[in-house]
Amino acid sequence: MFVDLVQNTLDGLTSGAAYALLAVGFTLIFGVLRRVNLSYGPAIMFGCYAATWFHVHFQAGLLLLAAITLAATVLAGAYVERLCFAPHRDGSAIAAMVASFALWMQLEELATLMLPIHLYAFPALYEGSPLHFGPFSLRAEALVMLAVTVVACVALQRMLYHSRFGLAVRAVIEQPIAARLAGIDPPGVFVRIFAVASALGAVAGYLIVASSEQVTPMLGMWSTMKGMLAMMLGGLGSLPGAIVGGLALGLIEAHSQWFFGPQIRDLTAYFLLFVLLALRPSGLWTTTRNG
Amino acid sequence: MGVLTNLGLFSFLALSAYLLLIAGEMSFGQQAFFGVGAYSGGILTAIYGLPLPVAALAAMGMGAAAAVLVGLPTLRLRGLYFAMATLAAAEMARILFELLHFQREVDGELVGPDGSQGFRGMRWVFEHGVEPGGYLAMVWGLLALVLLVFIQVEKSRLGATLRAIGEDPELARSSGVDVEGFKLAVAAVAGALAALGGVLYAHHNTYIEPRNFDIMLGVHSLAYALIGGLGTAFGPLLGVAVDIGVLEGSRVFGGYRMIVFGGLVAILLVFRPRGLLDERVVRWLSMRSAA
Repeated sequence: MFVDLVQNTLDGLTSGAAYALLAVGFTLIFGVLRRVNLSYGPAIMFGCYAATWFHVHFQAGLLLLAAITLAATVLAGAYVERLCFAPHRDGSAIAAMVASFALWMQLEELATLMLPIHLYAFPALYEGSPLHFGPFSLRAEALVMLAVTVVACVALQRMLYHSRFGLAVRAVIEQPIAARLAGIDPPGVFVRIFAVASALGAVAGYLIVASSEQVTPMLGMWSTMKGMLAMMLGGLGSLPGAIVGGLALGLIEAHSQWFFGPQIRDLTAYFLLFVLLALRPSGLWTTTRNG
Repeated sequence: MGVLTNLGLFSFLALSAYLLLIAGEMSFGQQAFFGVGAYSGGILTAIYGLPLPVAALAAMGMGAAAAVLVGLPTLRLRGLYFAMATLAAAEMARILFELLHFQREVDGELVGPDGSQGFRGMRWVFEHGVEPGGYLAMVWGLLALVLLVFIQVEKSRLGATLRAIGEDPELARSSGVDVEGFKLAVAAVAGALAALGGVLYAHHNTYIEPRNFDIMLGVHSLAYALIGGLGTAFGPLLGVAVDIGVLEGSRVFGGYRMIVFGGLVAILLVFRPRGLLDERVVRWLSMRSAA
């Protein structure tokens, strides 16, 4: 019983690390643009599909695959930004969200046109058995993912609070008009934030498909749902919150799956989200920074 | 004929999303009430042998009750928070449909919802000799009735109050409108409307499964309302017609159907963020017809 609990916790942290990384990109876009990008997951899925296509046709190596994932995800992200977010910058958040859903359908169909079978194998990051500590096991990829998440967050935090660009970002969030008067170009800031978030998404996507060793078109919806859920659990627009939310989601899922099975696992996650929203809409990890 | 019937059926759901949008709330969860209507109506006709009209009324009541249940803790949330809470509620509903096993023997055959296996054998329409044409007429007759009510309401003081709440709830409150009570009533009506669509959908298809009521359906219904326009109740119908019409009409695009449709929606929203028939167009049209 105790062994199972610990093992479930480890498993939860493993999937939680992936959720956290997805949530960080989501949070970045939401925190700065105040928009929800439903196409975030599908852009990641598109990037992974582009890499898989190269893998299937040219047997490209790991490093090249990672580079292709990054390039294709950022490209898809730029397309989404141009068509869904740049035109609605001062306008309707709803229109931006629905437009990003429209492009989701495009990206999904594009991916299935590229690779028409439902499931493709993706080369593993690390060939070998999981690490063992006594009765417990942990996949090496999980440690990589956790480390990448923490490094990404520290780097982002440094960028936001210790660089001129970060100052510009915070100025645009808090006082867009004053920022403009001070010579900051808000659209330029938004574009760069979007690019950073897309690159983070690509890293998350690559690590996720390399550790699950497969890609399906469901990756798009999965990434959007898990990333959004983790972001909401942690509190909108807070980077530490995104990590906490991601890990919390992973732990909740692992434990409720072990106790009650996969359907109740999902039910529990949504129920918690619903209750949290109803009682504490600012999230578990409240920051007043983005008020 | 099937296309026309589907067009009518999904119009109920689109109108349900539209009603909440003009009251200033974006719901990602109207598909849940569509599902509640489908399941409860189906159980009443297939297991308890009630006539369809009675079952439809009961299903609408169930839809309204479910909407109030979701609305009570969430309607004070704003924008994205409300959208997320309704999404969580709808996903919970979908999982509950997966867990719902309620089969009874009717005429030597097991009928009723069987979890993720779905719910087959809603044969009321077939058993009562309703021709496809008759069913089509019934669907469109009901839809015309609903539209008539919508148009009358929009012309009235009630409609003005509704739009006032949608545009500026604080202002509406300060001029003596009970905003919370009003929104709850709107949510109940929207829930009942979605449930009516659902019960008709279930009896048209004779088979439903939990997957029919996933997030895709919810986002589609929002997109319908937004493509068609938020200026008039004909907007959502136009949205459904564009989607189902273009999907059916653009067979020439073959495998690129979703790419074409997705791009069309995104570009349309750039130029018309409140849809084709937005408030300005509607005002211009009504002024022209008055002159």
